[in-house]
Amino acid sequence: MIRWLGGFAGFVVDWFAACALKAPPPGRCMEEAYRIGVRSLPVLLTISIFVGTNLCLQGYNAFVPLGGQRLVGMFVALAGIRELAPIIAAAMVASKAGTEMASQIAVMKTREQIDALEVMAVNPLWWLVTPRLYGIMLVMPALTVISIFTTVTASYFTATIQLGLNGAVFLEFARNATSGFDLMTGVIKGFLFGIVICFVSTYCGFASKKGPEGVGQATNAAVVISSVVCVSLNYLVSQVLYG
Amino acid sequence: MASKLRSMLPGSLPAGSRDDDKPPIVFDHVCKAFGALTVLDDVSLTFARGQTTAVIGPSGTGKSVLLKHIVGLLHPDSGSVHVLGIDMSRAKHTEVYRVRKRLGMLFQDGALFDSLCVGENIAFPLQQHRPDLSAREKRERVDHVLEMVELPGLYDRATSALSGGQRKRVGLARAIVNEPEIVLFDEPNSGLDPMTSDAIDALIHSMKEQLGITFVVISHDIVGTINVADRIAMLYQGKLIANGTTAEVVRSEHPILRRFLGRNLILPEHGDLTDPRLPGVP
Ligand SMILES: Nc1ncnc2c1ncn2[C@@H]1O[C@H](COP(=O)(O)OP(=O)(O)O)[C@@H](O)[C@H]1O
Ligand SMILES: [Mg+2]
Repeated sequence: MIRWLGGFAGFVVDWFAACALKAPPPGRCMEEAYRIGVRSLPVLLTISIFVGTNLCLQGYNAFVPLGGQRLVGMFVALAGIRELAPIIAAAMVASKAGTEMASQIAVMKTREQIDALEVMAVNPLWWLVTPRLYGIMLVMPALTVISIFTTVTASYFTATIQLGLNGAVFLEFARNATSGFDLMTGVIKGFLFGIVICFVSTYCGFASKKGPEGVGQATNAAVVISSVVCVSLNYLVSQVLYG
Repeated sequence: MASKLRSMLPGSLPAGSRDDDKPPIVFDHVCKAFGALTVLDDVSLTFARGQTTAVIGPSGTGKSVLLKHIVGLLHPDSGSVHVLGIDMSRAKHTEVYRVRKRLGMLFQDGALFDSLCVGENIAFPLQQHRPDLSAREKRERVDHVLEMVELPGLYDRATSALSGGQRKRVGLARAIVNEPEIVLFDEPNSGLDPMTSDAIDALIHSMKEQLGITFVVISHDIVGTINVADRIAMLYQGKLIANGTTAEVVRSEHPILRRFLGRNLILPEHGDLTDPRLPGVP
């Protein structure tokens, strides 16, 4: 654990020292952004829809017996925009794009391709981490916004069609409870989670043991560690902004 | 075939920059251990310019570790490794990279990038380090080295569609495309069928005629080594136990060397059975 943290910190410092001021490999950031976005989108949409429906159902169960039908919209907006959508986006990107980063790099390490990059005088951190980092920084905010709108829209339709609530009231309370600031929070969280996922996943790849077993372990560690770190970070950010 | 590599490549730089007469690679009392395991024990060795030096020894003696010291992937615990005048473990990152741009290395399994096709793999060093070449010049050079490794027309092939021998040849093409001064081979013959293996030896042999290129060939296969090497160094249990011209080493009376040579040359069926090149094994 301590050793992992030390190695991880060294890895991030190395990246900043070698790559932060260096232009990324031409053309590869957009390529990565596209891949991360497209790969993660279908599963993100699906999960967001059903988180939205259930958020609404539970809000309904909680508030309607107390006579607070109107609070359902507010509850959905607060929980969905501020907390759930960013976390869902992070979890999905970690499990799709993060695992892919870790396994690709671990396979490259096993097959001596990382060594080959070094020997060809190309910094592997620059070639492999920079495009993925800039790519994920580009798409994570967008994916978070998409998740927010999908969650709230799904809740809205559950409220109006299934539960027979008044759609206009739902929207009014949702709008009054939240502001552009909350949307901004979601975007900032998405941005931070993206950075965490990229550094953790690529580090898991670089630190992997050589061989098929090492690839499996790296992939597994990437999704577990990035999810745990994102959820904890989410608490911290919410504490700072809303606590 | 490859004898005019430097002058035949389109967009070649003039063969300057090799003015100094110092040996290009110098190991000075190098020790290296992994935990309790001592892999290199006080190894001092120089590699002569323009010559092919083979480093031989049984599997697991530290031949690959030695090679990784040359390219700066590993650093000695004590002693030093100088390559083209630069101390690879103490020099600045940028200087080490500058030396690496003048090296080419063939990895054991080619180490080709799966996301790139054959031609893009070979062009990789040019894309990274030769902005002075136009796209057409790069393409011509890649086509040229593809011909040299006898894989003409394979530019667009996916690396996943290559056989083991073809991967090695593509790796070799990538190692030489940017006109290195030193080319390093890690087990160029391992895992290959005899015909491909001989072809690789022939390729090394013909490239050797190119003046000024220093070759280092790591091998546990003595038969192929004798054919391509000017000099042979033998590692055994971390120590350098022989170092001389091929003729000297083959005639040496050193008991361990004799046993290694004997097992490889005379009693191949008791040798390393993972090597398909051994004579007598069909
Ligand atoms: N990075 C490393 N960490 C720990 N041990 C290593 C490392 N690289 C090589 N070794 C060990 O050093 C010894 C020599 O390895 P190597 O140079 O690959 O042998 P070979 O002569 O077959 O190429 C082996 O016992 C190997 O396990
Ligand atoms: Mg080896």
